Amino acid sequence: MSIDLKNVDYVYDSGEPFEYFALRGISLHIDDGAFVGIVGRTGSGKSTLVEHLNGLLFSTRGDVIVDDEIVSNQRAVLAKVRRRVGIVFQYPEDQFFAETIFEEIAFGCRNYGFSKEQVDESVHKAMSIVGLDPERFLPLSPFQLSGGEQRRVAIASVIAMGQKYIVLDEPTAGLDSGSKLAVLAELESLRQTANVTVILVSHNMDEVAEFCKQVIVLDEGTVAFQGSTDAFFRDADLVDRTGLELPESYRLARALKDCGSTLTVNECSTGRMLDSLRLCVSEQGGA
Amino acid sequence: MALSRSFVLGQHYPGTSAVHQSGALVKLVSTIALMIGVFVATKTVQYIPIVLLLAVGIGVSRIPLRFFARGLKPILFLIVLTVVVQVFFTPGTVIWQFWFVRITREGLGLAGFILCRLVLLTLVSVLLTASTSPIELTDAVSDLLKPLSHIGVPSAEIALVMSIAMRFVPTILEETERIIRAQVSRGARIGEGSLVVRMKSFIPILIPLFVSSFRRADDLAVAMEARGFRVGSPRTRYHARHFQSFDAFILLGTAAALSGVILWRLFL
Repeated sequence: MSIDLKNVDYVYDSGEPFEYFALRGISLHIDDGAFVGIVGRTGSGKSTLVEHLNGLLFSTRGDVIVDDEIVSNQRAVLAKVRRRVGIVFQYPEDQFFAETIFEEIAFGCRNYGFSKEQVDESVHKAMSIVGLDPERFLPLSPFQLSGGEQRRVAIASVIAMGQKYIVLDEPTAGLDSGSKLAVLAELESLRQTANVTVILVSHNMDEVAEFCKQVIVLDEGTVAFQGSTDAFFRDADLVDRTGLELPESYRLARALKDCGSTLTVNECSTGRMLDSLRLCVSEQGGA
Repeated sequence: MALSRSFVLGQHYPGTSAVHQSGALVKLVSTIALMIGVFVATKTVQYIPIVLLLAVGIGVSRIPLRFFARGLKPILFLIVLTVVVQVFFTPGTVIWQFWFVRITREGLGLAGFILCRLVLLTLVSVLLTASTSPIELTDAVSDLLKPLSHIGVPSAEIALVMSIAMRFVPTILEETERIIRAQVSRGARIGEGSLVVRMKSFIPILIPLFVSSFRRADDLAVAMEARGFRVGSPRTRYHARHFQSFDAFILLGTAAALSGVILWRLFL
């Protein structure tokens, strides 16, 4: 089971004089249980791509396949696909409308016909996944929370539905650095414990290096790279060509190499990089 | 995107023609005068001066006729309805009869007259809105209202409210689409089921929309005050424009067409 795109084109205003290819020949593969990053500069087609994954947009040419189901405009197919793929859009707290946090999170579950007990259970589970105390928060209004808490409730309102694939469009935008890391760590634990596939759209390369094992790089509506995140960030020319920046850890590693240092660091994540750097320094210090 | 594209009447068609570049106030006054002219006329032939001027305007504007046809679409039903009513229910000399249906010479004449009236009114307003950006248009309305400020009408504020409203129509449409996408992704079915269910399904869209609109309004108020906006203090325009020769042409042409219609009605 996986998400596959085969030669997908998406054209805005097809046939009109101002037709515009937002996606051009996109083929990609997302494995079950993966933590995949989708990166690319502004206007590279990330958001358009994301909206194909649960049938908000339909490809002009080519197929989007979710677990052997070809996404199409048929009601039965759409219901199935949306039941499997959840999307947390940018600034998801803008969608709040309910009087209490419980009602807000229960909205999706009720739409999918959960029983009263199932709704209760899913809401509590989702709250504990995003690290908010259900007893304290559920009766409050979602509008009286802090920004970080609102974001978590919004994410909980999607993961409560128990979908197999969760797509997040810039879930950490506008959060303080502590909340950023916490939100991503919660997603990682969701992936490990519930085997949910997490697809993260992000502009923050440090986040991507830290959490995503695989990365899909878009450039002007085409796939510029698809594979291991480490392999992508090691190709500094490609990173530059696609208009992206190296994560801090890779920049430090390059800087060390350029000044001929004998220190070598494990580059993948900032945390691990600091550990290996510390190790190197202590070894050299000992010599 | 689909939502913002479906608005046709009152849409701007950007261009650089003389019609586009002439003053919005001049075009607004001319449009009002031509509409008065359309109502003054009592016979179809009396529309000729207006049709001539409009044809010149459309020709000079270089706006494709297709665009005007699209503007007529929303009132197509109204046109068909009135024409049918006029054709079949006007008493007079019968020229064709079948059972209880009868068509009279007067009915045909009147139908043609009403048809021309509706089409002309629409085309005149489409030419105005197509060749003038919404912001220019609200400026023109505020100029038109300016004399009223002497009797206590807050014309500058009314104009500001209108231009802010115009400015935010596309923004709010975009916002609506964004919220619909998010709620649909949470399994919401919008506009399905019985009337009550359907009404209820709009709540998850309307409330977030209200919340974000109030927040936007607050932000805008702060941003305007931060840049020195004060209610009631005199304002100048960034794009000040001066009277041009084509403005004079429009005004003279309009005066000629309007007086042509009036004279035709009075003396012929």
